[in-house]
Amino acid sequence: MGQCLRYQMHWEDLEEYQALTFLTRNEILCIHDTFLKLCPAGKSYKEATLTMDQVSSLPALRVNPFRDRICRVFSHNNVFSFEDVLGMASVFSEQACPSLKIEYAFRIYDFNENGFIDEEDLQRMVLRLLNSDDVPEDLLMDLIQHVLSESDLDNDNMLSFSEFEHAMAKSPDFMNSFRIHFWGC
Amino acid sequence: MQENLSLDSSSFSPAVNFLQELPSYRSIARRRTTLLSRDKQSGTLLKPADSYRSHLEGEITENLNSQSIRKYALNISEKRRLRAIQETQMKYLSEWDQWKRYSSKSWKRFLEKTHEMTRHLELWREDIRSIEGKFGTGIQSYFSFLRFLVLLNLVIFLIIFVLVLLPVFFTRYKITNSTFVSIPLKDTDMQCTVYPVSSSGLVYFYSYIIDLLSGTGFLEETSLFYGHYTIDGIKFQNFTYDLPLAYLISTIAYLALSLLWIVKRSVEGFKVNLIRSEEHFQSYCNKIFAGWDFCITNRSMADLKHSSLRYELRADLEEERIRQKIAQRTSEETIRIYSLRLFLNCIVLAVLAACFYAIYLATTFSQEHMKKEIDKMVFGENLLILYLPSIVITLANFITPIIFAKIIHYEDYSPGFEIRLTILRCVFMRLATICVLVFTLGSKITSCGDTTCELCGYNQKLYPCWETQVGQEMYKLMIFDFIIILAVTLFVDFPRKLLVTYCSSWKLIQCWGQQEFAIPDNVLGIVYGQTICWIGAFFSPLLPAIATMKFIIIFYVKELSLLYTCRPSPRQFRASNSNFFFLLVLLIGLCLAIIPLTISMSSIPSSKACGPFTSYNTTWDVIPMTVTTFPSSLQAVIHGITSEAFAVPFFMIICLVMFYFIALAGAHKRVVLQLREQLSLESRDKRYLIQKLTEAQQDLRGQ
Repeated sequence: MGQCLRYQMHWEDLEEYQALTFLTRNEILCIHDTFLKLCPAGKSYKEATLTMDQVSSLPALRVNPFRDRICRVFSHNNVFSFEDVLGMASVFSEQACPSLKIEYAFRIYDFNENGFIDEEDLQRMVLRLLNSDDVPEDLLMDLIQHVLSESDLDNDNMLSFSEFEHAMAKSPDFMNSFRIHFWGC
Repeated sequence: MQENLSLDSSSFSPAVNFLQELPSYRSIARRRTTLLSRDKQSGTLLKPADSYRSHLEGEITENLNSQSIRKYALNISEKRRLRAIQETQMKYLSEWDQWKRYSSKSWKRFLEKTHEMTRHLELWREDIRSIEGKFGTGIQSYFSFLRFLVLLNLVIFLIIFVLVLLPVFFTRYKITNSTFVSIPLKDTDMQCTVYPVSSSGLVYFYSYIIDLLSGTGFLEETSLFYGHYTIDGIKFQNFTYDLPLAYLISTIAYLALSLLWIVKRSVEGFKVNLIRSEEHFQSYCNKIFAGWDFCITNRSMADLKHSSLRYELRADLEEERIRQKIAQRTSEETIRIYSLRLFLNCIVLAVLAACFYAIYLATTFSQEHMKKEIDKMVFGENLLILYLPSIVITLANFITPIIFAKIIHYEDYSPGFEIRLTILRCVFMRLATICVLVFTLGSKITSCGDTTCELCGYNQKLYPCWETQVGQEMYKLMIFDFIIILAVTLFVDFPRKLLVTYCSSWKLIQCWGQQEFAIPDNVLGIVYGQTICWIGAFFSPLLPAIATMKFIIIFYVKELSLLYTCRPSPRQFRASNSNFFFLLVLLIGLCLAIIPLTISMSSIPSSKACGPFTSYNTTWDVIPMTVTTFPSSLQAVIHGITSEAFAVPFFMIICLVMFYFIALAGAHKRVVLQLREQLSLESRDKRYLIQKLTEAQQDLRGQ
């Protein structure tokens, strides 16, 4: 287990994290606590890293169908440093601004990472959302066609970032659903 | 989750390669503050290379002043460097600019800290968050709505308290050196001031309980009801506090405040509903991209969310198919369907009329028999007669949704529309019953068989203090509603859960199953309670305080019932939809509450035996009387504003402004359509050119 001194974080670091992220003081300290519990012994929190599996199996992300994409987008070189975890929590916090959330949502939903959300990405997204083994092909195609007809403004069968941004700005549920309360804080 | 497609990223189509090199793509990516470059071998997104990085920083530092660092989509170490750059930049600014920047930053930090602190003060924050995690955002929005109503009632009570109750209490308990003023009445009105106090002879014990439950007897004289405030003014040292005016102003103030607060809260939902295109009620984009609640932590809740998404998406596609089928109806079928719908709507109206007539009869019967000797009746019979209108209303509200649900099957609407129409009919039914009750009372108060009505304007023999009696009816409705909610939870929900848990071997119990939390019914219940509170607050100033307590207790009762007896429903309400629906229903309730209040305030003469308005003809007369005490120039202005010479031109100007905005909106719509067409044409050109370029490249390589 990690070193568990509660106030190992210096006050200046705490102030800096508050200025650079959307998290409140309590949230940062909560995350710091849990990070220390999970990281390997003997390292300070600034150097320790968590693996993608460890972050995927956190209670906040455990049942999320997009947890592998979330881990992929927010990690560097397949590991999570403390600041990566803070960055992730900041994007998913309640106080984050819509443009930041839309930006990261686009990256998460771009499964093949080509800078656009195309039909392949949409297909994988729908399969993950429905989470069933037998989705009829025509249902899938119908849904994808409806989504594209609503948001693909230039008719190229892909969603560029501006089209996605436009669609999410009109969506009433996006801000409410793209939130995670990390670690019961 | 099966993903048959592997991440073979080196085989991105050439089109995508070119698209990523276009200047438009790059400038948008720079605006998002990271440049995405692809590593051609592994296909992963790289962080910006160093040469790009300095370019990137150059771009960003130009805009640093306008955006806060947090909003950049970079990781923390990069943000740290940006912050350092920003601070070195500060040195090159003048003193004034530095001070401006510093003060705006500290102001923002101060605002954030206050927001954080007020968020801690939010009522029931932890409870609502845990409900959200376990049952989803639809049910959580119900509890947020309940919390909003608690706050609204508290503020209404504070308004009434400060304007009316506080001066009266100060004077009564001699806290300030003030006296009551009472204006003697004209002789002709003396007969109207006869107010028989209930007999204080041999009083049985149970009459206390009856009094508590129905507001009669010892409660009638207390500050709970309108009749207690028979005061024409309060004389302080320097001025006279006009209590009738304050009473009327408090009523208008709480109605206006409720209206403004509800409209403010619903502005977001309404804006979104306006932007949405007219064809779909719910957009697929919203359901797919914002369909998953990221705050779900529970495995069973996650499974439920998956199945509810499956259900919802299938239902939407089904609805689409039905709509297409409807559009293809022949004219014969259309005529048949419309005549059937007309007939069924007549049946609905007949059912509503029957219910309203039943309520009218019950109210009349109850009012007539209440005047008989209470001591001679049996306890149960007494209570039954007192509560007869409430019982009939509750029964009607129980039976009619079942009838409406049966009828709507034959009307052949699409499923989504069916649900909405049924809910609208139930809402109207529930709220109109209160209006019918109040109008029945009103008709009884102003009708008299003989000539006594001309004397005082109302039925003075039966209703010497009619406002108190209306207040008592509202009080009874509220108490009965509260008792029913508690009784249903205790005697129906919990036993059902016990039966399902312990006797699950019985087939019948298995079929019946565990209860689901039915959001529309619960919302209608609390909107009904709030409508009663709005109507009753004029006749019974302490009613909002009772409503606040009632809603607080209901919150805990419903929360316990939800956590211990309900299973999550497979058909989930969306939060955005729910919020709009709740506030719409509340607004309908407010409008239906304002109607009886305005009629009673302006056309029924106020009672001469009790209350603050004894020296006025009707309640509304306070305002013209007060205006006559203003200076003559102000009086002239007010007379000018309320005259026809002002109102008609004002109305015409408002109509012109409205037509202008409608024309503007139409013009914008046309421009948007044209731009969309142009956009798709441009994109076709772009793809054509890319294709030509790719072919040319291949030819070049082949040669």
